[in-house]
Amino acid sequence: MANLSRRAFTLTALSALATPALIRPARAASGTVVAAAFPGSWEDAYRNIVAPASGVSVTVAPALAQDQIAKLMASPGRPPYDALLVSPGQTATLIEAGLIEKIDPSKLKNWDKLSPIAQNEWGPFVTIEVNGIAYNPEVVDKPAGYKTLFEDPQYDGQVAYIGFGSNTATMAWTEINKIYGGTYEDMGPVFDLIKSHLSRIGAIATSGSNQMTMYQQGEVAVFMASTGNVAKLRELGMPCDFAHPESGSPSVPVAIHLVKGAQDPDAVYAYMDAAISAAAQAQLAEAPTAMLPTNTDVPYSAVLSEYVTPEQVAAAVYPDWIAINKHRADWTNTFDRIVVGG
Amino acid sequence: MIRKDTLLAWPMILFMVLFFLSPLLVLFGVSLREGENGWGLGNFAAFLSDPFARGVLTRTLMLGLQVTFWVSVLSLPLVMLYWHGGRRLRGFILICTLLPMLTSNVVRTFAWVVILGRNGPISQSLLALGLTERPFSLLFTETGLIMALVQIELPLLLLPVFSVLNRADRKTLEAAEVLGAGRWRAWFSAIFPQIVPAVLAGWVLVFASATTSYVTHTVIGGARLIFLPQFVYREVGVLFQWPMAAAISIMLLASTGIIMLGLTMLARHERLQGHG
Repeated sequence: MANLSRRAFTLTALSALATPALIRPARAASGTVVAAAFPGSWEDAYRNIVAPASGVSVTVAPALAQDQIAKLMASPGRPPYDALLVSPGQTATLIEAGLIEKIDPSKLKNWDKLSPIAQNEWGPFVTIEVNGIAYNPEVVDKPAGYKTLFEDPQYDGQVAYIGFGSNTATMAWTEINKIYGGTYEDMGPVFDLIKSHLSRIGAIATSGSNQMTMYQQGEVAVFMASTGNVAKLRELGMPCDFAHPESGSPSVPVAIHLVKGAQDPDAVYAYMDAAISAAAQAQLAEAPTAMLPTNTDVPYSAVLSEYVTPEQVAAAVYPDWIAINKHRADWTNTFDRIVVGG
Repeated sequence: MIRKDTLLAWPMILFMVLFFLSPLLVLFGVSLREGENGWGLGNFAAFLSDPFARGVLTRTLMLGLQVTFWVSVLSLPLVMLYWHGGRRLRGFILICTLLPMLTSNVVRTFAWVVILGRNGPISQSLLALGLTERPFSLLFTETGLIMALVQIELPLLLLPVFSVLNRADRKTLEAAEVLGAGRWRAWFSAIFPQIVPAVLAGWVLVFASATTSYVTHTVIGGARLIFLPQFVYREVGVLFQWPMAAAISIMLLASTGIIMLGLTMLARHERLQGHG
């Protein structure tokens, strides 16, 4: 049996251990931002419009809002992102977990141009996502509201829903619950409704994108959506219209946050400033993103006006995310048990 | 002392320790976290005492077994064809087996969305043949999910078996026939024992892959068919309950590990190896 010298073994071991050092670090030097953005049209828009306008090097990393938090929690002290893109539901969780910082508005040139509602101390709102019902006008009539979907037989087998993992779905379920007499503290009415209606639901998808795939394939003709989802489907040539529920459109601001421990906070401010600038928001208000501008210098684009008017935004419903976060785990559990067992 | 003939294995051993064993130990450590400062087996107890969670675990293992069964059934004629085929036919079968593997699992899964949908070829063909009155969808059904997984996992069984068949000694088959065995008996007594280890290795791969194929489970299975990988994702991505997610992952690893260990022990059985 031949033996290996200590020197040869040490060299082999050191070479193996040094391998990670040869891999180029994902986080580059200062002057750069790793910014999370929702996958799909958001990611494309932020990469092509906001990042170039920021004047700093921005790496747009696609991640759903919940995934952004999960990844931040997974690497305490070494955040994988410098800037986040999330809604108030996640903001509350991020604040509670101490993962984001309050911003210094004086570092944002466009701060004063923001509508007062968008001047958020934890990071500017870059848009307000208006949610409602997406439907295929070639298959079903325009629904008047959520109640119609459960009570008019033409929608039987045509509607897709998702569980409480999705913000859009959560807002819709809490609104439906309210319509049927429930409150945040009592979601019994909506769960009873789901249970009794289960056999007539078209599909229960696992995510918003899964739902849109089903819609594209003609599996379903109705789903809970934002105006952006409808704009995207239309851009793809799909017949798709947006209906504002008669009870009000659940709306949710989307904010950029500065992550605690960000490598270059000034670069993050430059990126934030670009996202709220009139030039970028004017482009983002066009198809396929059709985002509602928060910069008061930017008018509603023609395409955006097809879905939403300033009056509808004024009448929008803003859910209580603190209450939602308090119960979300229980609701998720209950929903899963109903749809799997039903 | 380190044997010189194991030198080439050391980088891989170190790699496995660093990037597989260490994370696995960390995962196990996280699964023992209870609350802010507590430690214990509470997450495992909570999982196992919940009938819904136990149902998800059982359904996941059953899915793996069903997919393994159907992959085996579909593989048998292909293996026979490969064995009896000439060089060109063998090459053709091999290319057809490898070709889907050149595309990502995700792409293959989304192709199945089209195939299984109500406007897809299955529904439309049966409609055209008058075998169904209206279009139907196999999406979000267990049947559809098993169909997709069987096609996706098929190469994992076929490739190890083809590899063994290429080296199998055809003279043993002739010898069995000379000794009076019928064609099937000769094949099963002379060739089958040679491919058994490959079949069992393939079963392990198919089973492990079918039970952990998160993308296929979610895209084809939907939210009404929950399997353990979705359960893990839900705990991490929606509820941020890392310790519970780690405990479920360990449960998945342990339960699939036990089945795989059983298959491996079966592969070593001397009767299956043709020594009995």
